[in-house]
Amino acid sequence: MGVVPLLAPVQLLLLVVVILPSIYVVWLSFHVSSFGQAPEFTGWSNYLRVLSDPAFRSAMWNTVVIVVVAVHLEMLVALGMALLFNSGIPFRRILLVAVLAPYAVSEVVAVAMWRFLFDLDIGPITLMMQTLGLPVLEWSYDPVHATVMIVLLTIWMHLPFTFVILYAARLAMPSDLYEAARIDGASRMQCFWRVTLPLMGPAILVALLFRYIFAFRMFSEVWLLTGGGPARSTEVVAVYLYQEAFSYNAFGTASATALLMVAASLVLASGYIWLLRRQVKNAR
Amino acid sequence: MRAETLLIRLGKAVAVAAILFWSLFPIVFIVTSSLKPGQDIFAVPPQWTFQPTLQHYVTLWTQWGVFFRGLWNSAVVTVGATLLAVIASTCAGYVFSRHAARWLELSIVGLIAVRLIPPIVVTLPLFPIVNRLGLSDTHLVLIILYATFFVSMGTVLMRTFIDQIPRDLDEAAAIDGASRLTILRRVIVPLAAPGILAVAVFVVVFAWNEFLFAFIFTGTNAKTAPLVISEMIGSIDGVDWGVLFAASTVQLAPVLAFVILMNRYLVAGLTAGATKG
Repeated sequence: MGVVPLLAPVQLLLLVVVILPSIYVVWLSFHVSSFGQAPEFTGWSNYLRVLSDPAFRSAMWNTVVIVVVAVHLEMLVALGMALLFNSGIPFRRILLVAVLAPYAVSEVVAVAMWRFLFDLDIGPITLMMQTLGLPVLEWSYDPVHATVMIVLLTIWMHLPFTFVILYAARLAMPSDLYEAARIDGASRMQCFWRVTLPLMGPAILVALLFRYIFAFRMFSEVWLLTGGGPARSTEVVAVYLYQEAFSYNAFGTASATALLMVAASLVLASGYIWLLRRQVKNAR
Repeated sequence: MRAETLLIRLGKAVAVAAILFWSLFPIVFIVTSSLKPGQDIFAVPPQWTFQPTLQHYVTLWTQWGVFFRGLWNSAVVTVGATLLAVIASTCAGYVFSRHAARWLELSIVGLIAVRLIPPIVVTLPLFPIVNRLGLSDTHLVLIILYATFFVSMGTVLMRTFIDQIPRDLDEAAAIDGASRLTILRRVIVPLAAPGILAVAVFVVVFAWNEFLFAFIFTGTNAKTAPLVISEMIGSIDGVDWGVLFAASTVQLAPVLAFVILMNRYLVAGLTAGATKG
């Protein structure tokens, strides 16, 4: 028990900042409360109200679409890059640092970059696309185009994370496995499907799990890029939650939203992980 | 190893070029644009040769004093949060590495479970409490929040790193009469330095760049640099792109240099944190 003082700082911080407030959020979600009023117990009515709110449904739908599209695209690109890096390319260390660079960029600065690059009147990327006769991202008034922008921005910011995890997993794989596979007459494709993918499976699962959970809480990118607009059409759950709490002062429904958000991200992540795990096992 | 065909080499070169363009173009673009004189920023096609000028930085310095106060606030908060997170995580990681007990196992599961709670969720109850305690718009509230959201990952990471230090070393020190705190300070900390640096990289990057908590909990006094930049983006008079690029460059430069310098620890931390935590 002499170790308690050493554990105290971590436990105290988590207790005061995360655990007790989270319990309070659960309590709040069953009450009606706004600033300066005594909270009143209302049962499940906050949840019902949130679930029947079209704005919430659209926010939840947007979040799921962005998470599913962005996380998978990111995973594919990162996997390709990890294999490319591993296949022997010159200046690997320098390239690795270059790939890490976006990790240092804040959401705010990233949004500033992308708003300028894709600006409809003066953005260099927009102008380049126009010269090439390609369609332009009309992200400031087309919700679908705005969603594409958000997906691109998210991938840009988080690719370093996914890439590093996959690359490290690939580096840790013993090379004699491939020699054995070659001797047995396996083709390149067979090597990939039967050796690389199953062995990298656990790392892919971990990276996916992390990215699912973190992408689900996305706030700043959307808030700074579109503010949820036009007309709340690009809101994600975290932005909806922020609006409920800090724009409409509805802390009860905001708390219900918060718990729905945690639940949804857990369901999405766990269902997905369970499926993948079964596939990885079957492939072996 | 088989000799690669020319085609494969070419394909790889194209892929590498694409990766470099994707990762670096936005960064290079914003930094070079911040040095372009007035109208050259909007030149079509973008100009890559120009007379570099510091005019946007001068404007930033003369008209956006609030930005430099924001930088100072960011620096204070980053240093504070990093120290707090590193010290707390190292102490706890040491206990988890060297002691085994049922309640410790349970509490490490709790540590990992805590990471599932999104930061925005705790802002709901904390907002009124922070206001009532008079902590709103202070450095302290951001330091505590930033540190807290990294102590669970930090603890798990430190445990992984401390696990690699042979126990014989602390046992020998204990026989020589060293207290637990002395062992931690004299034996563990020097040998676990890579782990400490890895945790520090995570917290520094997060605290320096964070937007949501700063947006909700600060207003004027403790406003951080990202918040000032977000105001520049949202400015109703139209965005002054030159100044915005200059501010972005100033905000980005130190943390980018830090990440480049510490890339080994960042990679080690990401790998250990992801596989063990």
